Amino acid sequence: MNVTCDVVGGETETVSVAEDATYADLCRAVGFSPHEVTVLVDGRPVAEDGTVTEERVELLRLVKGGGRAGATGRAR
Amino acid sequence: MECDKCDRDAVHHAAYSGAHLCGHHLCESVERRVRRRIRQDDLLPDDATPENPQRWVIGLSGGKDSVVLTQILAETFDADPRVELVALSIHEGIEGYRDESLAACNELTAELDVTHETVSYAEEFDVRMDEVVEDDPENMAPCAYCGVFRRDLLEAYAAAYDADKLLTGHNLDDEAQTALMNFFEGDLHQMATHYDASLGPFPDRTPTDRFVPRAKPLRDVPEKEVALYAHLRDLPAHITECPHASEAYRGEIRDLLLSMEEDHPGTRHSIMAGYEELAALAAEKYRDEATHDGDLSPCVECGSTTARDVCRKCSLLESIRAA
Repeated sequence: MNVTCDVVGGETETVSVAEDATYADLCRAVGFSPHEVTVLVDGRPVAEDGTVTEERVELLRLVKGGGRAGATGRAR
Repeated sequence: MECDKCDRDAVHHAAYSGAHLCGHHLCESVERRVRRRIRQDDLLPDDATPENPQRWVIGLSGGKDSVVLTQILAETFDADPRVELVALSIHEGIEGYRDESLAACNELTAELDVTHETVSYAEEFDVRMDEVVEDDPENMAPCAYCGVFRRDLLEAYAAAYDADKLLTGHNLDDEAQTALMNFFEGDLHQMATHYDASLGPFPDRTPTDRFVPRAKPLRDVPEKEVALYAHLRDLPAHITECPHASEAYRGEIRDLLLSMEEDHPGTRHSIMAGYEELAALAAEKYRDEATHDGDLSPCVECGSTTARDVCRKCSLLESIRAA
């Protein structure tokens, strides 16, 4: 099935996933690790292992790659 | 997908434990892990009393991690006269980016009624990171300068406020990345330092007057769950990447760790379990040479403890001024 993903604050992408795909699979199809984004359905986060039923979702980036304040340099 | 604990819809599946949790129970679980870590690390000693309270300085950047830490600590100890919280923010001179996150810090601390102090590289060092990045006199990544200055100010102000502890918002992913970096570099001395500086339970560490002891109460919580907590509770967290972010090696480790975690859920937890044990052994073996190192002396410029004549911060400042 085709799912349109609006990346919050970013671009919109439509990807094709298997009928039994999970929301984690959907994240990967858009190029994210399920550990760095959450899928929002009607504004609410959904569990990563749930089967995709929606044709349009939002992807909220929760984790920015590198450079987070407090995580720079070697933590001691 | 239903929550394991109630009939609400799950907002998260933690593959490492198999748990499905709704928003309410995810938040409760995050808070429980933070409080358990505070107990396990013995952050609040028995001799803390309302007359002789513990003062904890929280490094508050306005990012999700330090915002969640401040929120949970403030709610946990709100009615406990044995703990005083002071939030400390640092403006590095990154225009736009840091102004926005400081607005988040101000909003949060006003809501929670937590004392909040802000210091800046400009006032303290006459330095702004936006300019340092332009000149780059040492040919280094921006984070390499910024980390030295940030640690220096957190340390200096925590000491000036007479803090008993300095708390930072490092999460499980941050700590597992640091552990792997130390493994891959084969750096057991660094593991020993890590243990005594911020990792070990307080009774197991060697007491030192060289710096304010640190702790990381969020270090059992994966980064995504910290972020979900901030999102679900609608906390004023600023989630934007620093425009100068450039930690290439940490980024590589982060990607490796996330792909391992996907294929082998629980990898971050097991890395930390083994690493803590190893770091404790390393600390036992190496801490004597580290703490009784006769080479340590006050920096001739600023007086902070250093293994050289001039400390790293002062030598960086010198080359920035000369540029």
